[in-house]
Amino acid sequence: MTKITISNRNNSAFEVNGKKPLLNELRDQGVDLPYGCQYGGCITCAAKLINGEVDQRSQVALNNRQINDGYIILCVAKATTDCTIEIGVESHDKLYRNPFLDPLEPHELKADIAIKKDEKK
Amino acid sequence: MDGCCGPGYASPTEAIKAPKEKLLYTIAIYTGTGIQKPDYLATVDVDPQSPTYSKVIHRLEMPGIGDELHHMGWNACSSCHGDSNMSRKYLLVPGVRSNNIYVVDTASDPRAPKIHKVVDGSEIKKKTNLSGPHTVHCLGSEIIISFLGDARGEAPGGYLHLNKDFEIVGRWENSMGDIPFSYDFWYQPRHNVMVSSEWAAPNTFMPGFDLEEVGHLKYGRRLHVWDFKKKEPVQTMYLGEDGLIPLEVKFMHNPDSSHGFCGAALSANVIHFWKSKEGKWKWEKIIDVENEPHPEWPIPIPGVMSAILVSMDDKYLYINNWLHGDMRQYDISDPHKPKLTGQVWMGGLLGKAPEVNGVKIAGGPQMYQLSLDGKRMYVTTSLFSTWDNQFYPEIRKQGGAMIMIDCDVENGGMKINKDFIVDFGKEPNGPSRCHESRYPGGDCTSDIWL
Repeated sequence: MTKITISNRNNSAFEVNGKKPLLNELRDQGVDLPYGCQYGGCITCAAKLINGEVDQRSQVALNNRQINDGYIILCVAKATTDCTIEIGVESHDKLYRNPFLDPLEPHELKADIAIKKDEKK
Repeated sequence: MDGCCGPGYASPTEAIKAPKEKLLYTIAIYTGTGIQKPDYLATVDVDPQSPTYSKVIHRLEMPGIGDELHHMGWNACSSCHGDSNMSRKYLLVPGVRSNNIYVVDTASDPRAPKIHKVVDGSEIKKKTNLSGPHTVHCLGSEIIISFLGDARGEAPGGYLHLNKDFEIVGRWENSMGDIPFSYDFWYQPRHNVMVSSEWAAPNTFMPGFDLEEVGHLKYGRRLHVWDFKKKEPVQTMYLGEDGLIPLEVKFMHNPDSSHGFCGAALSANVIHFWKSKEGKWKWEKIIDVENEPHPEWPIPIPGVMSAILVSMDDKYLYINNWLHGDMRQYDISDPHKPKLTGQVWMGGLLGKAPEVNGVKIAGGPQMYQLSLDGKRMYVTTSLFSTWDNQFYPEIRKQGGAMIMIDCDVENGGMKINKDFIVDFGKEPNGPSRCHESRYPGGDCTSDIWL
């Protein structure tokens, strides 16, 4: 079991077993969370990981900048360690950006088209 | 008057003479706004004689959250005018993110529609491998809906075929050919043709707009001509830089006409297409909205022409520029040479009309619907939750708005109506965002004639 602390809900904490995505685990325990597609493609359920680690390999919605800013897609992310997260639109301060005013660097694109910043494998 | 017949009107000329609309339906979303409530179908009173004129008089909530309602369409239109067993009773309202399709009964009580049936999104995925529903057209007595992706949100998607009882028949098309993306479509049966356009894969556009992905060919730039009876694409029109993100497709309403139009959103161009004497489909750019400089932007702002509409008499073409903030009317009596005849401003990033009828506008003109007589156009301001959040973050607090434009059908011209505005920022559950509208008796984007 791992412990999920929600920093913007008075640090309320929930035990999850890591087998189901965090969206299902937390909703089952009564946390009201936004969601849309439920397969990791649409960003509606994005939350911010403050610390800890998740497995969200099946998400396809986030670009690398959003990932570097700590965003996780709750409908597919499974906790692999204890985590502290921030949920809902309060956590979306860096999720949305005007694409004309603030372009992405080649390494900040989505994983399938990003160009690595350095050649390290 | 037409008691012998089915839904709609015998011809566009008959449709223009229909009684004035008294109600309209628009979807309103909470998906992506931070408010944990279902999206809903709002009934708006548009009868100037009514004490609740210009107000939302009913809200039909969907059963769950997170649908992102977007476009919608009728179960029947003038395409089955000859079938007295059919009636324009059900509005099909898809959720782009949830994949659910809500069939709404608007006839039992037009002011307070109710859910008749839900076509479950996961069943659609299982049976047809489709997700990301968009445009709904009836097809005689049956229904086709374009989907932008497969069940995993990858392009090109395809077309769902429902029968008149809203049961899944399967995929409508026999082949997608080499079409890379789907979006909108319109068909013109007398020419045995359908034309479809290209947005992007759901996994690309749903999370928001990354400009760089246009260069990586993740967004469309083609139109596709279909053999409508064979249900397969037969010709591609590659629009290139003139047609970046070609969205809405409209044929003229006259069923004999082969002329149609598409608005290329990012290029902010109108593409005109038609069938040549030799039977080949041709295209040309007829309207090019220049990008506009902005003091805080490193590059000029593109218009983002996200919708187009042709009046029922085929005389006027309407376009929007969502980021600039203007709506325009063009006389297309000669479809090769459109003449600008009207323009109004609402919202937008250029600061030309931050307020309309006392309401601060977040967003810009985005979706619009025109009355059958061509005189009243209702315009809403939100595009898509994630894209709204990128370009107009203040819409979270302010919500969307519905504005009415009086259109001069004799001499051309547009004027914002001073007596009408619906402020979706003041909705009981908090600011919501309105999008596409439909009128119960038909409008300028619902009907096709066989």
